[in-house]
Amino acid sequence: MKYRFTTSASALAIVASSAVPVSAQDYTRFGIEQDLPGTCSYEATDAKDYSGRTLNIITHAIPVIGEPTALHAEQFAELTGAEVNVVHVPFGDLFQRIMIPFQSGQNAYDVMFYPSLWIGDFSRFLAPVPEAYVNSTGMMDVTPSFTGVATWNGEMIQYPMDGDRHYLKFRTDVFENADVQAKYLADTGNQLTVPATWEEYNQVAAYFNASDWDGDGELNYGSAEVAKRDDLMFSAFISRAAPYAKHPDVQGGFFFDLETMEPLINTPGFVRGLELFIEAQASFPPGGTNFGLGDEIFSFGGGQTLMSYSWDDAYIQANQEDSRIRNMVAAAPLPGASEVWNRETGEWDTFETPNRAPYMTWGWSSAVSSMSEEQEMGFDFLCFFSNEANAEHDMQIGRFGVNPYRNSHFDVDYWKGQGWADKTALTYVTTLSEMEESQNRVFDLRVPGVSQFMSSMANGVAEAMAGQKTAQDALDDVAKEWAEIADRIGKDRLRDAYSNVVTLEDNEG
Amino acid sequence: MNKFYHILKTLFLFSWSLFVVFPFLWALTTSFKDANAITSGATYIPWVDYEPSTQGWTSLFTTGSQGINIVGPFIDSAAVTLIASLVSLLLGTLAAYGLSRFEYRLGFVKNADITFFFISQRIMPPIVLAIPFFLMLKELGALDTIFGLVLVYVALLLPIAVWVMTDFFAGIPKELDEMAMTDGCSPIGAFFRVILPNSVPGLVVAGMFCLIFGWNDFFFAFTLTFTETQLLPVSIVSLNSSVTPWWSLSAFALISVAPLACVAVIVERYMSRGTMSGAIR
Amino acid sequence: MTPTSTFGVNTMLSSKHFFLLPALLTLIAIIVFPLLFTIRVSFSSWDVFQSGLDYIGGKNYGRVLEDERFWQSLGRLSLLSSISVCLQYTLGFALALAVWKQVRGGRVLRVLFLIPMMTTPVVMSVIWRTVFHESLGPANDILGMFGFGAVPWLSSATGAFISVLIVEVWQWTPFMFLLLLAGLVSLPREPYLAAAIDGAGTLRTFWQVTFPLMAPITIGALIIRLIEASKIMDTVYVLTSGGPGTATETSSYYIYIRGLRDFQIGYSAALSLVYLVIMIVSLTVIAKLLLRLLVGKVG
Repeated sequence: MKYRFTTSASALAIVASSAVPVSAQDYTRFGIEQDLPGTCSYEATDAKDYSGRTLNIITHAIPVIGEPTALHAEQFAELTGAEVNVVHVPFGDLFQRIMIPFQSGQNAYDVMFYPSLWIGDFSRFLAPVPEAYVNSTGMMDVTPSFTGVATWNGEMIQYPMDGDRHYLKFRTDVFENADVQAKYLADTGNQLTVPATWEEYNQVAAYFNASDWDGDGELNYGSAEVAKRDDLMFSAFISRAAPYAKHPDVQGGFFFDLETMEPLINTPGFVRGLELFIEAQASFPPGGTNFGLGDEIFSFGGGQTLMSYSWDDAYIQANQEDSRIRNMVAAAPLPGASEVWNRETGEWDTFETPNRAPYMTWGWSSAVSSMSEEQEMGFDFLCFFSNEANAEHDMQIGRFGVNPYRNSHFDVDYWKGQGWADKTALTYVTTLSEMEESQNRVFDLRVPGVSQFMSSMANGVAEAMAGQKTAQDALDDVAKEWAEIADRIGKDRLRDAYSNVVTLEDNEG
Repeated sequence: MNKFYHILKTLFLFSWSLFVVFPFLWALTTSFKDANAITSGATYIPWVDYEPSTQGWTSLFTTGSQGINIVGPFIDSAAVTLIASLVSLLLGTLAAYGLSRFEYRLGFVKNADITFFFISQRIMPPIVLAIPFFLMLKELGALDTIFGLVLVYVALLLPIAVWVMTDFFAGIPKELDEMAMTDGCSPIGAFFRVILPNSVPGLVVAGMFCLIFGWNDFFFAFTLTFTETQLLPVSIVSLNSSVTPWWSLSAFALISVAPLACVAVIVERYMSRGTMSGAIR
Repeated sequence: MTPTSTFGVNTMLSSKHFFLLPALLTLIAIIVFPLLFTIRVSFSSWDVFQSGLDYIGGKNYGRVLEDERFWQSLGRLSLLSSISVCLQYTLGFALALAVWKQVRGGRVLRVLFLIPMMTTPVVMSVIWRTVFHESLGPANDILGMFGFGAVPWLSSATGAFISVLIVEVWQWTPFMFLLLLAGLVSLPREPYLAAAIDGAGTLRTFWQVTFPLMAPITIGALIIRLIEASKIMDTVYVLTSGGPGTATETSSYYIYIRGLRDFQIGYSAALSLVYLVIMIVSLTVIAKLLLRLLVGKVG
């Protein structure tokens, strides 16, 4: 899809500016509450002139990330006089749509928005972020996790504009209902608490599955998860396996042993995670094993299921003004594990307080192509896209998919200002900011060929979930495939890339 | 016995019609829903079952960040499809006529093999042609242009035209050509003056297949364009985000089928006249 | 004077080429580079991390031989396409026969029956996915009204296979319907008169007159549909993305995953060429068999 935004007669601007003092321009016509000071504020961007020049942008489909891209492109065109073309591409085809021109040396797009985990494949085609932007006000406030994700071999080559992680979402109207708690205790002999391990998660989900606990006449279910193979299922599996496989005292790699580059995907921790994933299928809504992210958002965000875990979308959908379950949801860290596989000793270690391994799953990122002839304009656009006023505006709109990534975004009052209840806002902010502080984080496998590794893994997981193989067999086969892929890519090339990830995980960054 | 057949037939036609219409009806009602109406389960009648909303339709005609404007892509799509179909039809008809009237021989290659060569072009999975086509159009400077897409579509549509027209000409008696040629026409003249005017039904069918396959191609329209040229199927999937907007996709499905439904009416006219294939027989 | 001697052998020859060559050369010009290029790429290690045309011999082909997932997907594809094409043929023929002499409402029905084929597969598959949505879609809702339980349309191996089949039949039966109706309408009358004189009933007339006369059209339609059905991708991608497990993964979808998702360009080129050869060989065999089976019956 194409938009072409060119400057229109700015009669409106003249009228608007005549009404207010000349020094402080009014930019509220762009839909923001007010222009906030910063390196790339509306005022600073307004001062630039790119008329007669063209910027080509590729981004995700509307609305997630696609809609804010189009919106800010329109604004940027009006402010600077540039012609800005935006093309929107569905997730499944975004990679090839960017990669084919890259590999064939065709300068197709100046700016691209894409999942940050592709950095390993794209790194050699990206222009490093210039010093001036690294030191911009917006960038200085980005949390270490997300500058880390944008950095490759010590150099920033992606422009952070979104923050993502997986966490647990649950219904407070069930968990905090005294009658339900009492009944749960009577039926199971356990207190009804927010699940602290994936075993507990599965138990609670199973207990509440297929009963009409919200009393609207339709059946409700236990858990909504992204389980469709070529959708984003790989992320769901990593969330589930992480606490069993990521030992806080073992360093040097989660997916691979950094030294030998042997895959760890079939070690007992991962197998355990997969077994619990298979077990959880019983508590999915009908068709739940074929749920993509969109279905998960409809299911939890629409009030059908008790619990869910993934990105922020479903949480924000659930708390939109027109939502039936507004302020009946809360956030919590992902469940953990009381037994963790220690690959150094080759034994299960028991933990009194469950081991947590927050998964800083991929989120959207942006970059400027090194082939682009309009790099400066490209960075100016990205800086404008993520300026203080725009970031604050975009986070309020669930469908935009822009989620907190700066220190200033972890502000309870900001979210309460959106009409969120105390608990909904507080648990959200606490969950997110605590993940930043964790010393046991897991990141995506950001190496060249990441899609090959992830699609191989997703296929193995899907085979096990469909009952075609046992969990161990499926992951053994994945490990075999991973070893082959690693051989093809070259272990040294892979190790160089993977060390970027391990540095973040081992908190050396 | 006859009565039994009649009831059976009526029942069959009725249930098949229902099956054909069902997804369209569902799309029609879905196109007036919003997220709340969709998450509350399957519902059918607006105002009774749910509160209708028009966002599905308006988003298709909105320029800007709120939706996509399908007018431009509609024109691009029509241009590419029509040009490519016409070229394929012209070349394909000539070739089909040649193959049905003359003997070609190149070593062991004969007419049947040439026909199969044409048709076999459709066997290759499009995925693998993406990169070679990309590189080829890049060399020609034809990426992201209508011309480039027409070129690729001709390769896709030509085999269909050859196939339909070869079958069709096989049904036209050779006496017709010979009669024309005795009247002093050259073979080429005979083709244009006598055969072509008698081939309208075949051309309609071949043309329809070209239009269908051209209009509905998603893959090449997607891979070989950047920002300038946008075809209809590509613009609609730009709404297919991680949150699938059931409403606008439904509205779009209904809009995009409209032009080809008109084609169906035209095709049907020829079909009921009994002039379709082998009309001269 | 015969036409040939009027214009001479040379005119005949040149006009013979006038007809065939433009199309043949155009097609060769457009297709020859992609084809040769694909063959060359299949001997290289072109992958996501390097885009050169190096030479690695037949390594990719060796991998294809050992790639169980590919061979399984090929088996699944044969099953899916043969079942769906047979269904489309049977239903299309039945529909064509049913509206053949239908006068009242016949035109409306004919137009209606053509329409599904006119829709964009990638868009209609999304609509069908909402139809099959197990808790929010109408398929289970309507079955529920008749007292049936929820059917796991997309989340069980059989259900997913049947769903894909339903969508394929919905979309492509019109293709068969059109070709077969066009054939029926242009059938000669004499054989029917003869059959009527013999006192043949409806069924016998069909098997002894209609069906044999339709044999050439049948063969053409079946082969073309088999070719097109084998490329099935959008439907699988949108409905099930090959799942559950690998239950609905077909060859072309698998090649798509390897080629454009994984970006293993060299390997996917080898996969496609193997696929191409297998398809050409098996289609030739099928065409010969059909010819013998159907036309042999006439003689």
